[in-house]
Amino acid sequence: MGFSLAWRLFKHEARRGELSIILSAIILSVAAVLSLSLFSERLQGALNERSAEFIAADRQLSSRKPIDLEWLKQAKSQNLDVAEQVSTRSMVFANDQLQLVDLRAVSQTYPLKGNIKLSAEPFAIGEAVAEVPSMHEAWLDSRLFQVLNLQIGDEVEIGDAVFTATRVLTEIPDAGFSVFNTDPMVLINMDALAKTNVTGPGSRVNYKAYFVGTDDALDTFYSSIKNEFQREYHRWLSVDDDESPIGESVARAEQFFLLASLLAIVLACVAIGVAAQRYAQRHFDPVAIMKTLGASTATIRKVYLYQIIFIALLGIVLGTVIGFAVQQVVVSALAGTVDVSLQVWYWRPLMIAIFTGSICALLFCLYPLLGLFAIPPLRVLRRDMASTLKSRGGQYLTSGLAIFGLMYAYSQNLKVSAIMFISGIVLVVLLLGATYGLIALGRVLGQGRMSAAQLAWARIKRRALDNSVQLISFALTLMLLLIVLVMRNDIVKQWQEQLPEGTANYFMINVTDAQKDKLAEHFANNLVISDDLYPVTRGRFAKINDVVLRSEVTKEDEDSTNERRAGMGREANLTWSTQLQQANEVVAGEWHDTWSYDNNELGEGIYPVSVEVEAAKRMRIGMGDVLSFNIGSEIVDVQVTSLRQVNWQTMQPNFFFVLHPDAMSRFTPTYITSFFLPEERKPELAQLLRPFPNVTLFDVDARINQIRSIIDQVSAAVEFILVLVLVAGALVLIAQVQASMDERQRELAILRTLGAQGGLIRRSVIYEFLIIGSVAGFMAAMANEISLYLLQSQVFKMSTSVHYEYWVVAPLTGAIVVGLLGAASCRALLQLNTSTLLRKVL
Amino acid sequence: MIQVTNITKTVTTDNGPLQILQPISFTVTEGQSVAIVGASGSGKSTLLGLLAGLDTVTEGTIKLDGASLETMNEEARAQIRGQKVGFIFQAFMLVPSLTALENVMLPAEINGSNNPKALAVDALEKVGLSHRASHYPNQLSGGEQQRVAIARAFITQPKILFADEPTGNLDADNSLKVEQLLFDLNQQAGTTLVLVTHDNELAQRCDRQLIMSAGQLSEASAQAATERAS
Repeated sequence: MGFSLAWRLFKHEARRGELSIILSAIILSVAAVLSLSLFSERLQGALNERSAEFIAADRQLSSRKPIDLEWLKQAKSQNLDVAEQVSTRSMVFANDQLQLVDLRAVSQTYPLKGNIKLSAEPFAIGEAVAEVPSMHEAWLDSRLFQVLNLQIGDEVEIGDAVFTATRVLTEIPDAGFSVFNTDPMVLINMDALAKTNVTGPGSRVNYKAYFVGTDDALDTFYSSIKNEFQREYHRWLSVDDDESPIGESVARAEQFFLLASLLAIVLACVAIGVAAQRYAQRHFDPVAIMKTLGASTATIRKVYLYQIIFIALLGIVLGTVIGFAVQQVVVSALAGTVDVSLQVWYWRPLMIAIFTGSICALLFCLYPLLGLFAIPPLRVLRRDMASTLKSRGGQYLTSGLAIFGLMYAYSQNLKVSAIMFISGIVLVVLLLGATYGLIALGRVLGQGRMSAAQLAWARIKRRALDNSVQLISFALTLMLLLIVLVMRNDIVKQWQEQLPEGTANYFMINVTDAQKDKLAEHFANNLVISDDLYPVTRGRFAKINDVVLRSEVTKEDEDSTNERRAGMGREANLTWSTQLQQANEVVAGEWHDTWSYDNNELGEGIYPVSVEVEAAKRMRIGMGDVLSFNIGSEIVDVQVTSLRQVNWQTMQPNFFFVLHPDAMSRFTPTYITSFFLPEERKPELAQLLRPFPNVTLFDVDARINQIRSIIDQVSAAVEFILVLVLVAGALVLIAQVQASMDERQRELAILRTLGAQGGLIRRSVIYEFLIIGSVAGFMAAMANEISLYLLQSQVFKMSTSVHYEYWVVAPLTGAIVVGLLGAASCRALLQLNTSTLLRKVL
Repeated sequence: MIQVTNITKTVTTDNGPLQILQPISFTVTEGQSVAIVGASGSGKSTLLGLLAGLDTVTEGTIKLDGASLETMNEEARAQIRGQKVGFIFQAFMLVPSLTALENVMLPAEINGSNNPKALAVDALEKVGLSHRASHYPNQLSGGEQQRVAIARAFITQPKILFADEPTGNLDADNSLKVEQLLFDLNQQAGTTLVLVTHDNELAQRCDRQLIMSAGQLSEASAQAATERAS
């Protein structure tokens, strides 16, 4: 009986539009979650694809020993694409000159992701090619053409082999971004490497294998070989390990999408919660009738559970279709800006959407349904009898658990879920406090002659507790919208600040002391602004805490445990300053600006050094450790007196080791600096540098443009997510206003019958919504501030600030939006004639 | 058929307990029709709710066709209602999202009858509304809605019918029609009828009249009844 009755009720109610509110809430939740998460998965896929270019593959295995051929065979047998690269530092000889280069020999399939770019002449813009050098070819960096005075077609010697310099190499995908340790690059064919004989004993060779395939295949392959890895030799890299600005931006964008989707889930929950409450209230009478007619509680439970299942199923199906369509439209609209493929299908968003729809529908309907089941049959005689289920605690508990469960299930991130959840609870508590406050205020203001404002206050006062749920849902919706809006603004702003217009796109090293002033003058004459000059010298690690590190290059060197400890190579670039660089923050100890040798607490001949915190971790050195550097033929002893956190995302020279100037006064440094040259002035480069032939130039323009384009794409995507969430939020607000108008219908009908003018009624409703909207907006601004502080400091690792403007904007927007929606719904009601209105509600 | 012994009803209010029914005892025999009359707030509907097992007594016993309601829980009372009781309400109480036919079918379905639809068609026929079977309650007039409610009340052939102001929401014309229908069907089926009403004419058509006043029940003498009628 339960099923057929439930089906009939469902059919009729659906046909008569009585399920529209709860059905549209479920459709909205499923559609919002599906479109948001499908879009963000696709976008992440596209961004990962872009990021993958920076390691030239999906995964990269880097090793200091030749990579086991068995592993490569195994990878191929597991349907992975494989490429290889061997790199070493070697000398190139041409035109009677020698130059140290970064020699890279690549296999035919290199690169698996991204492109090699070549140009016809030095310092020109490169174009992508789909080939690697042939056996006799060498592709050389622009700088080599400059330094070795080469022309295209000239011969160069590398080790024992002779190659023809056929093309100018402008870019390879995984070149890395380091101003130091970067010698000009030469690309040759892997098969040509053997004849050079440069990888013999004593040479430092790095081997890389590249893999591309599905995530599953890559994970399976990784787990099958990882136990054979030797920690000191092998390093497995995925795009997520990319610490570059792009990696950071993509990671932050992913967190934003995650956040937006979480908020969409909460919005959906709020919408369904409101709708379920209303649905249950509308069924009080039918349940009382059925009970009176002898239906058992079990029968009634069955009838309504089936009903909810039917509604949920229909909502999920329609929501999926709509969500998919919306997402498709968004992706098509973005096609010009973001390279997102519509071909790829992700199952996870669909699963999440269905899961959200079912969980929201079942859990959020649970309490209203329990209330419905507890309706006493006596209601048929006493119409004012409500549910005997009194405690709201159960409702809050089930709703809270459902929301938290969904957030955690979706994000798999306890911190984000907890932050959002706790801010939500703070908001709810604040709002409950506020509603009590309103009752008190209403008591004072609601006395005297009945004006529209007083009618509004009277209604708020009377409903303050009952409708606290409504106020909470308005405020929650506004808060969620605020969070997404402010996060988007802050993220995009910080991204843009990271690479402002005029960011240095060229670096120069090897500027001598004597050239310093001349260079500054020359650049100024050419209207090019160069950055500060930082002194640099290379130091070789001699000792760490009296443990001698080998410095001779021997075969055994590769196995040296000391070498492993150093973990950064044997040499380091040292700079010295008493001024802490921009975007550097001392996280342990004290910066050495006040240190003086006369008052030296460190000991005879020991100077302070500040070490970058991640480098210190890798090298396993800590505060108080004494490092000895061999510079030229002298030893400099320094003690670690501070650790610094460095923001590597800024395009400015940064250093692992910063010494005190006193320690370096004996040495003659060279300098590093950077400058910005607009693209159209690129041809002037050679002329600009002609007076300084010894200075080495690094062109990072391409890299910066790559970063900019990705940031632009991510920003565009973030904007669209914002729009999606705003639309979802607006729909939730409309649903809420309509649900609450329902409750007002009866009162409006009575007032109308008693002869109240439409204007008075309309104004009273508008005032009521204006008050509720502004209170909700104010509360939302408060809760928004708390959650933003936690999110930005704990999750997004961004600088935090107070958003004063939203303390004004939120109550105003709340009042205007909720007031307008209220006015619109009220207008529709007042257009009905009084008898229709009465018939509707009585 | 109905045996009421010393029942009272006390409710809790903000100002402490309030006794709304004084000890009441009476018996209704099978096939008898009884009207409970009295002013608003005198406790008529409370008594009806107790007799129908919609509410529970504070003290005393109610036997409905031999079953002691006060010893039963809500589920057991629902079962008794499904099997033995029919209802008619002032506000009709039809399920708005079911058609007239489906509303009539409802008790038969709940009862597990074999062919609810055929029974409902038959019942609608009897109240002269077979042509309105597929209409929803809000598409019917008040009189029609109450006739649907009467069809619903009789579909399970209940032994007892409780009616709460069955003509209270109707105009004179419709009141008369509904009244006639109610008594005709009642007579045909031999159902015991307990109705609560303000309407003296309606009360007069019953075998007995019980007067409810400030929570106390008394039997109206034939003479008093005649006086009221005049």
